[in-house]
Amino acid sequence: MAKQRGRGFATIEYPTGMNQNGDPSQAWIKLKPDGRVDVFAGTVDIGQGSKTVHTQIVADALGVPYDWVTMDNSNTDSSAVCTGTFASRGTFIGGNAVRYAAEKTRERILDIASKELEISADDLEIVDGEVLAKGAPDRKISIPDVAGAATYVYGELISGNGTALKPLAEVDDDDGSVTVEPHSAISYAACVIDVEVDDETGEVTVLKMLQVYDVGRAINPTLVEGQIEGGAMMGLGLGLLEECYPYYPSVDHRGEQFGSYLAPSLEDLPELENVILENPSIDGPFGAKAIGEMANNAQPPAIAAAIHDAVGVWVTQMPATPERVLRALQAKREPRREGKRVIYDEDISVAGLNADGGAVFWGVDG
Amino acid sequence: MKAVGARLPRYDGLAHVTGRTQYVDDVRVHGTLWTKALRSPHHSAAIRSIDTSKAEAIHGVHAVVTAKDVPHNVYGHLEALGVPADEPLLAADDVRWKGQPIAAVAAESEEIAQAAVEAIEIELEEREPILDIRTAPATGDEHFHQWGAIYPHFGPHNHRRVRKGDIDRAFDDADLIVEGVYRPQAIEHCPLETQVSLVVPEPSGRLTIYSCTQAMYFSMGVVAAHLQWPLNKLKFVGGTVGGGFGGKVDTATETICALLAIKARRPVKWRFTREEEFLCSSTRAPWHIEIRDAVTNDGWILGRRTLTIHDSGAYARFSPYGLTKHAFHHTGAYTIPNLRFDGFVVFTNRVPTTAMRGFGVTSVSLAVELHMARVADLLGMNPLELRLKNANRIGDTTGNRVVMHDPSTVPVTLAAADAAGLDLAAEYRSMTQARRTGDLLPEHLVAQQAPDGEDLATYRGANGGGR
Repeated sequence: MAKQRGRGFATIEYPTGMNQNGDPSQAWIKLKPDGRVDVFAGTVDIGQGSKTVHTQIVADALGVPYDWVTMDNSNTDSSAVCTGTFASRGTFIGGNAVRYAAEKTRERILDIASKELEISADDLEIVDGEVLAKGAPDRKISIPDVAGAATYVYGELISGNGTALKPLAEVDDDDGSVTVEPHSAISYAACVIDVEVDDETGEVTVLKMLQVYDVGRAINPTLVEGQIEGGAMMGLGLGLLEECYPYYPSVDHRGEQFGSYLAPSLEDLPELENVILENPSIDGPFGAKAIGEMANNAQPPAIAAAIHDAVGVWVTQMPATPERVLRALQAKREPRREGKRVIYDEDISVAGLNADGGAVFWGVDG
Repeated sequence: MKAVGARLPRYDGLAHVTGRTQYVDDVRVHGTLWTKALRSPHHSAAIRSIDTSKAEAIHGVHAVVTAKDVPHNVYGHLEALGVPADEPLLAADDVRWKGQPIAAVAAESEEIAQAAVEAIEIELEEREPILDIRTAPATGDEHFHQWGAIYPHFGPHNHRRVRKGDIDRAFDDADLIVEGVYRPQAIEHCPLETQVSLVVPEPSGRLTIYSCTQAMYFSMGVVAAHLQWPLNKLKFVGGTVGGGFGGKVDTATETICALLAIKARRPVKWRFTREEEFLCSSTRAPWHIEIRDAVTNDGWILGRRTLTIHDSGAYARFSPYGLTKHAFHHTGAYTIPNLRFDGFVVFTNRVPTTAMRGFGVTSVSLAVELHMARVADLLGMNPLELRLKNANRIGDTTGNRVVMHDPSTVPVTLAAADAAGLDLAAEYRSMTQARRTGDLLPEHLVAQQAPDGEDLATYRGANGGGR
């Protein structure tokens, strides 16, 4: 009887945007007469910081200071369509919508600046809130002056709108093939998790999570780390603690409040080490890929593999509660071998539970 | 200064941490009524009769709604993606999960609303619940769902399939066939802010809907469809959510509040209790995944057969979508040329399951990665080297015939090994994500590879495996 240490790994991938696409995000931007920037987008901020990320994207796409930009995502009268904040689509698809809107707004700024400076728009650039002649930066006009001229001299509203939409990918129901890539960029991650397993109580403690995420481009590294660390704790809950139906498929003993449902808390927090790789995507805003959802996917299998490394048993029904770990230790079940087949978990399989061997599921034609 | 890449403080962070952010529950409108729902006390039952007259007579009750008050009661949230409607907003003929709403009341206080709910007279005929997705189809004609035990609308099939290459040959050629079963569980989303909305009838005839939805336009479409109203009569106000994790893609309270507000001609608010959030709001789905991998002694995965069963709970909601996404990613971060995947959505008498962080893929990651750990253990192979060997590479194609342009299986795995100080053989240490050649392009991976320079998003010719 002792505490045993083990290490487990996982490498995962995750797509950006709704599966099969067809999920638009739209945005529009207008300039105030002093050049300050109003962004309207329907991207709901569910706590991950998408308002901040959108604002950063607009600031750089326009070439203005970050604190000139205000974002309004408060209602459906002023914002255009956003399919929603899910499917890891906020930074990438919502971010592309505001980027496209900013690029169009930038063209309008350059049009007005071109008239004021009497220089072709093609020969102008925007740097830190000023429109400069390329190669002759002393010939310039500030964006506040451009916006003032647009409003009071030319009688124009500087604005722009953008839509990010990848066309719907039809699926061949016979073989699952698609004719259009059914998602945007794929993100990847790997993790190494160290655990300690008490082989007397079955209790598992996560000691350290080392996590590597390829996010394409970290628009805001602090918020990326927030996703990684928050996701890690959610993954720890999936691996060790949380369960709506403790004796699934039974519906008995459901927890109905935090006191009777084990969500992870700070006492469960292990040592965390985060590594962010930036392998830019070809089509995300500034090369970004998604980070939101995948952040709770790698930990449960890595924890389960680490338990095996520590005490030699496979727990494949989540979460790996002390009860499940102890029962696995008591059973010490070996896989059944039949020719070259190595069959694990037969007792919980559809073949093991149905007299016909699970023919309804395994026996489909074609 | 460039904003992108900078560690800028959160736009709304100061307001969040000083308690000054206005969430839906902070909105105060004079004259607001409170909502409570009559929910099914049984996991499964036929509804014989409902009588709301005593509830309506209670002083302080301003509106009671049942199924007959909903202009379009059965609306499918994913009809546009080919998932037909099966779920009523308010139960009419039967109840299929404990907690399913049957009627709702708007009253001067939560206490009066609750008293009115308890005064609704209802006759139910309880049925035996069906709970195990592995054996539910064997219950046959007596199954409670109008479509039977198994969701039947994946085109002509009752399952989502992926077929690629020659699966039989892969299994014939394998040195070992490794079979395992993986069962990721249901969990609750656990947002600090429970489901909540406030619906205000405006003098203009419009409704202003303060909502915690993660998807304002999506939820506006749901409310409009149930009411059969045009979008210009609705205004959603939101965008700031106290935790969602997928659970607030469901439009849980908004439509019923809207119906009550229209009937009562007063603002109506519904805030789930913590118990309702845990017991009556949707959960992450439980899944059952069986993987059979055809592997060689030197660590190639030649083929994979997968059976997935998704516990949908009582209605379809987003489950067919989640299963399709699951199917598209069932090889994980690896290239496997011969595939046969069959995935089923099965109905049970539990709360309908829904989207949650990683929807469809969290389950894949568990099953695939734990299976990889087992294969490595059986072969006596370094688990990272097994992953690197079978990693996605540029020019490889997925089960759906999508050509991979920038797969990062190799870079992230090597970076993890580096950071953890793990030893890898030189041939693995020097790996990149570059297109396969030489020893990394054995015969069984040739036919799945897209032609060099192929710039189509998908490559229909890539149906090749064998060995």
